Amino acid sequence: MPHISFQEVTKNFGKSTVIHGFSAEIDDGEFLVLLGPSGCGKSTMLRVIAGLADMSSGAIEFDGKIINGLEPKERKIAFVFQSYALYPHMSVYDNIAFPLIMDRFKPWYHVPIINSIARRILRNTAEVKSKVEEVAHMLELEPMLTRRPRTLSGGQRQRVAVARALVRDPDLYLLDEPLSNLDAKLRTQMRSEITDLYKKVKKSFIYVTHDQVEAMTMATKMIVMNDGEIRQIGSPEEVYHSPADTFVAKFIGSPPMNIVAVTASGTAAELPNGEKISLGSEAPKTGAVLMGVRPEHVRVVAAKKGVSAVVESVENLGAESILALKFVSQNGDSEEVGSKILAKVGGSSVVRAGDTVGVEFEPSAFRWFDVDSQLAVD
Amino acid sequence: MLTDQMKAKHPRIFRSRARTRLLPYLFMGPAMLYIAIFVMIPLGRGIQLSFTDTKLINPQGGDPIGVQNYAELLTSERFWNSFVVTVSYSAAIVIFSLVLGTLSAVLINRSFRGRALTRAVLTLPYATPNVAVALIFLWMYNQSSGIFNESLSVLGIGEVGWLGDPDYGLFSVIVATLWKVTPFVMLVVVAALQSVPEELYEASRVDGADVLSTFRAIVLPHLMPTIRVVALLMTIWSIRRFEIIYLLTGGGPVETTNVLVINIYQQAFQSQKLGMAAAIGVLGLLLSLAVTAVFFVLDRRASLAESQ
Amino acid sequence: MKNIRKFAAIFTSRLVLIGFVLVAAFPIYWMFNTSLALDSELFGTGQEFLPHLERVGEVPQKLEDVGIFGLLANSAFIATGVTVLSFILAVMAAYGLSRFKFHGKGIFGFVLFSTQMMPEALLVVPLFALFATFGLLNSLTGLVLANTAFSMPVAVFIIKTAIDKIPYEIEESARVDGCSPAGQLGMIVVPLVLPSLAAAAVINFFDGWNEFLFANTFIRQQELWPASVGLAQFMGQYSTPLSTVMAAALLFTLPAIVFFLLVQRQIVSGLTAGAVKG
Repeated sequence: MPHISFQEVTKNFGKSTVIHGFSAEIDDGEFLVLLGPSGCGKSTMLRVIAGLADMSSGAIEFDGKIINGLEPKERKIAFVFQSYALYPHMSVYDNIAFPLIMDRFKPWYHVPIINSIARRILRNTAEVKSKVEEVAHMLELEPMLTRRPRTLSGGQRQRVAVARALVRDPDLYLLDEPLSNLDAKLRTQMRSEITDLYKKVKKSFIYVTHDQVEAMTMATKMIVMNDGEIRQIGSPEEVYHSPADTFVAKFIGSPPMNIVAVTASGTAAELPNGEKISLGSEAPKTGAVLMGVRPEHVRVVAAKKGVSAVVESVENLGAESILALKFVSQNGDSEEVGSKILAKVGGSSVVRAGDTVGVEFEPSAFRWFDVDSQLAVD
Repeated sequence: MLTDQMKAKHPRIFRSRARTRLLPYLFMGPAMLYIAIFVMIPLGRGIQLSFTDTKLINPQGGDPIGVQNYAELLTSERFWNSFVVTVSYSAAIVIFSLVLGTLSAVLINRSFRGRALTRAVLTLPYATPNVAVALIFLWMYNQSSGIFNESLSVLGIGEVGWLGDPDYGLFSVIVATLWKVTPFVMLVVVAALQSVPEELYEASRVDGADVLSTFRAIVLPHLMPTIRVVALLMTIWSIRRFEIIYLLTGGGPVETTNVLVINIYQQAFQSQKLGMAAAIGVLGLLLSLAVTAVFFVLDRRASLAESQ
Repeated sequence: MKNIRKFAAIFTSRLVLIGFVLVAAFPIYWMFNTSLALDSELFGTGQEFLPHLERVGEVPQKLEDVGIFGLLANSAFIATGVTVLSFILAVMAAYGLSRFKFHGKGIFGFVLFSTQMMPEALLVVPLFALFATFGLLNSLTGLVLANTAFSMPVAVFIIKTAIDKIPYEIEESARVDGCSPAGQLGMIVVPLVLPSLAAAAVINFFDGWNEFLFANTFIRQQELWPASVGLAQFMGQYSTPLSTVMAAALLFTLPAIVFFLLVQRQIVSGLTAGAVKG
């Protein structure tokens, strides 16, 4: 739980619209990733879902119930912030216990002296203690319970933030780019920890990130956003293999999909440099069209055997190499035409920069996009 | 190690080394010299005076009488009255200015239309010169024709001797001072409030804390260091504050507002006992020093507790 | 239900805020109101709540009559003098405290701070004697000198905290380019801390403008009174109508308010830079 329904959610800040008509249906128990570049509205969307920001129009339902007007704590959510937002003047124990204490807080506890007493009693009740310790144990935070956030490392702080979310046993976990402040190695480690957590609690997760690797590895469902709009909703496989438009095609995948402007007719297509290649199947339309092909589907062969191209650069990554290639014009002047395309080859490349090579494309690996709308065409 | 040989070979480097060492003193020098002349020396002279029986008629003369002035003061009811009045006055100023100042800072912290204007108006009292503050309050407190008593008559309550009644004197003076100084606290606290990260507020909202809980658990601890400094400043400034009290009540009625500094002034220029006045001044200074010392101890301890 | 509570909360907070605004503004408004009332109204028939704006034209002459403008000029002289002198001393001292480690740094800092604890009343007499010896009594210059001693340390503190924030590397690169320490201060640091300099200048100006105690004790000639002393004297005399006194007081207040509003943001950031820990 819960099944989430987004109905034309719009958010304006003054005159500018940050989120345009966001609509989607998300099943219960999904690990949903909101993926997009900075400023695309994903963090705002997360805050709208949390109730930290109000939407300008539209509705969101949890399990069929509209939650628009509900306060965050009434939505049974937990939020992990990008900067962790740990309470600096409280120990780790108190940080984790805080939501539990707030749950049990009565209005008349606000009276000055009663306040201190009430909080101290609440903090030490058996129930609170056992929950905090259980969660601390799960995240290996026990040795740090008495310390202040100031004295912890980035990774430890992040775990405290997660612990604070966990202890409330929410129905929905919201995470706002929680890994972006960590170094690369820690990030990979925490990624798998979060996925493990997801599998353990079996609740719905909504995770915001701009890192498509994180998205691809963790998501069960992805929503790719740009400029406040949804570009595609789908599983990582769907998004990867059948991108809905050129934005998604270029955003997902490392390195990104190559988009080449070609002129298609039947089962052949003419490349920018004039050479013709044969496609595995019919092109979706005749005439100018955008052809998308992923670098791993681009093969480098001997110069005469494929389309003529010049190697611009070679990046040797050990297990594979990325070659940047440029087509060579057939007009006899050997001019380089069009923009770079990238090819991914296994192992260390034998080819060097400056070499002339031939390019082949794996049949039936093409994706097609309309030149004007940039949308996928079949 | 600079050997003589090296110094001889590279005279310019050696010269600049010495210059570098002198440099800070060159920068600090003028200010220090200035303070030495206009504060430290007079202070020394003041302390010296406190051990004499110098009179106003003959400021340079006067015989040393040891600690007689001090003995007289410490057994004088009048002095202890001054001391108590000073402490009460300062305490009242500190407490109320902190509470009211923090409250107004919190209220003004959310953005709303007309916020800049509101803030500007709220800071006006602090910008008003002390003498002007004293004058307008003097008029407002006027027994027969001041606005306060006029309003009370209209309400049927009748007049109050704001500045003439011993029960009200200190109160009136405190109110006038508070009017002037609270905006200062507000400004400082507002600045401190703005350094609270937005995400902290969001986190506490998600955790289910209401406004008051958030304030207590998150905002207040964050503000404590600032509040402590402001409290110290307010205290030592209150001990010094002269114009407002002097012009409103001159130390009366019946010495209920006779703070230490007024007492000094009276001793020097009315009773003409310069030595005695100096002694009171020294005791007042000691009070300020004691307050500062206490502050540093408390602040050190609190800072340690916070960082753990 | 939640919305009613939220509304009530906002409503009460607005109400309280309005209360504060009224309390803050009322005395100043009352100063204005009183300045336009006749003595017969004030002490007889009762001061009216709304000001008699029609009398505004008469005010300048009345002020002229009591010579307030001369007094204000004196105040301005003192205030400007304090500002300029403090500036020179404070900028150097602030730089020294910020950039250098040296013996006695702590003591110097403490000495500066201790000036804030001195009751001026304690120093009035010795300073009187000192000034008498050097013929500085009964002079505005003497007042400037006396006031600067107390005002300058505040400026040092404000400027120092601003200089602390400037990375030393900027100066080091200037040094590599051949700049002398004085040049580093003047050409690199000063332009970068202008806001805090402005704030310090305003505080110094205020202190000079506000000056009362020393002026009251040291100045014998009426023409040399700053407006603060003048106003206090007026209040005691029955010959000056209250409305004129109030008008003068208002005129005395206005420059201070204007200055303060212009730079209030810098003042606070300068004052709190050291105190605010986050």
